[in-house]
Amino acid sequence: MTAALLEIEEATRRFGGLVAVNEVSTHVAEGELVGLIGPNGAGKTTLFNLISGFTPLTSGRVRYRGRDITGLKSHQIGRLGIARTFQNLRVFPNMSVFDNVSVGATGAVGLPFFRAVAGGRRRSDAISRRSLAALERVGLVAQADDLAANLAYGKRKYLEIARALAMHPDLLILDEPAAGLNESETAELAAFIRSLRDEGLTVMLVEHDMALVMSICERVVVLASGQKIADAPPDAVRRDPAVLEAYLGVDE
Amino acid sequence: MSETDTVTDRPASAPKARARARLLQGGILLLLFALLPAVLVWFDRGYFYQLAMLALIFVLLAGSLHLVTGVAGLLHLGHAAFYGVGAYIAGLLAADHGIGFTIGLPLAGLGAAAIAFLVALPTMRLVSIYFAVATLAIGQMLFLVMQNWVAVTKGPNGVILFGGIDLFGLEIGSRLGIYYVVAVVVAVSIWVIHRLTDSYYGNALRSLREDDQCAGAMGLDTVRLKMEAFTIASFFAGIAGALWAYTTGYISPVDFDFFESILILAMVVVGGLGSLPGAILGALLLILLPEVLRDVGDVRNMLVGLVMFLSILFLPKGLFGEVPALALMRRHFDAAWPGAGERRVGWRG
Ligand SMILES: Nc1ncnc2c1ncn2[C@@H]1O[C@H](COP(=O)(O)OP(=O)(O)OP(=O)(O)O)[C@@H](O)[C@H]1O
Ligand SMILES: [Mg+2]
Repeated sequence: MTAALLEIEEATRRFGGLVAVNEVSTHVAEGELVGLIGPNGAGKTTLFNLISGFTPLTSGRVRYRGRDITGLKSHQIGRLGIARTFQNLRVFPNMSVFDNVSVGATGAVGLPFFRAVAGGRRRSDAISRRSLAALERVGLVAQADDLAANLAYGKRKYLEIARALAMHPDLLILDEPAAGLNESETAELAAFIRSLRDEGLTVMLVEHDMALVMSICERVVVLASGQKIADAPPDAVRRDPAVLEAYLGVDE
Repeated sequence: MSETDTVTDRPASAPKARARARLLQGGILLLLFALLPAVLVWFDRGYFYQLAMLALIFVLLAGSLHLVTGVAGLLHLGHAAFYGVGAYIAGLLAADHGIGFTIGLPLAGLGAAAIAFLVALPTMRLVSIYFAVATLAIGQMLFLVMQNWVAVTKGPNGVILFGGIDLFGLEIGSRLGIYYVVAVVVAVSIWVIHRLTDSYYGNALRSLREDDQCAGAMGLDTVRLKMEAFTIASFFAGIAGALWAYTTGYISPVDFDFFESILILAMVVVGGLGSLPGAILGALLLILLPEVLRDVGDVRNMLVGLVMFLSILFLPKGLFGEVPALALMRRHFDAAWPGAGERRVGWRG
């Protein structure tokens, strides 16, 4: 077994009386493409928020490259190499496409204010190279100067991914990237995500689109009511009685 | 992903915009250091010199608030207090200790920045509208100190300082000389603010305005960035205060009260949030317009209110803004009381 990039140990998050994530343990190996599925309200987004430092854990630990990252701030986790996108699409609407992506690059490279005043060339060059490369990767170079708010919905999804890629992450976590996309767009996205994995990126993916998850993921973790009910390759998950029960009445 | 070398370099802003900015910068320098001084010398009236310098000081105040409110999106309701701190540091050093411009100017900026840093430490974690309320309280507190700490600030009577401006011991006597000193200080300060905001650093600040939680996930230390913007802006407000003290020779607390903060905010809003040229034009508009309409009587505050009101209604993004002011306000309220932003106020935006 390859060394685990991310280890989640009995992660728990309560909101008042509600246990949104309940003692979930799993791990992600380097280079893996892992799917995270579950009915609405299962705690998928909350688990992502726990990993990325958006929400503090009530109990449990998160380790990244063997290092305990529990309790770190989201920017510290981002700089360690974990980049994310959001379920409810959060691009910076009043900034250009290029400027959006540059924020991801700046966060990772760092640009102190005195360097900005002095015109810190080397860092600025690194930021602009990374930003352009990320835009090229998702095919948005032609729209670099457009306002992000003016992009079509599907393109904004790619912009959000490009912004994360500009951070040069080792682990990319995507929260429902296919939501709101039509069938052909979803297929295109699936190919794109798989190509990211083929380039060596580790990807964790929340998705409601079963076909997408089952076709590209190597392993699928299933949450229901905050608890992990399955953690296996897609074929095994598909036949798992606990999973079928959790999804009874929901599609499939 | 690796950094591929096939990608050609690309500047932070588009080349065409760059060329236009160059032209604009050249025009401004020509106006500031050749045309305007020529006009001032031609008319040779003290009032015009005062007015020109007042306009420049407010250009710097609006330019510095632009960094905090226009770019970083923090609603700051106490900027004038830091302007006052700078003015009092410069004024008291000159009046009580005979310390002149060369040392007084940087100390005024650093002093205002130091106080800003200290008060910002606990407030920067406050979200949105709570931050605005905190800055209002901070501004009011500093104003009360100027007003009531009579032993040091001389209270409501104000401070009279003699001596004008000296540069490394060299006395600048002429009105034109003083104008040039003010113009150079303001031009350099605005250039620094321009570099800060028209850069990747500026983009990072803009991302705070757009969605600061999301900016954090991008690896940006949002609290630190806000602290920096607030402290740097206060430094330049302090510099503006020192210029005001040296050029008028008299300061008193009323010059730095809440209405002055609102006036500066109005300049930024009218000019358009996120645009430095906008903030500059907003300052010129709101300083020069009341002077032109002087005979109408003392209606400056009303006029400021009216211009701001009309601009928000009919020019939601101000002259050159990146974000509608009303939309930003709405988001700020929404962050504090979820759902508040959904309720419609005003006509559009
Ligand atoms: N900040 C919060 N405060 C209170 N309850 C919350 C909060 N965030 C999430 N919850 C609750 O936690 C549970 C899990 O929510 P979560 O968003 O993680 O689900 P999800 O699996 O992502 O669902 P979906 O598929 O709808 O996105 C839900 O019942 C939700 O209402
Ligand atoms: Mg979710």
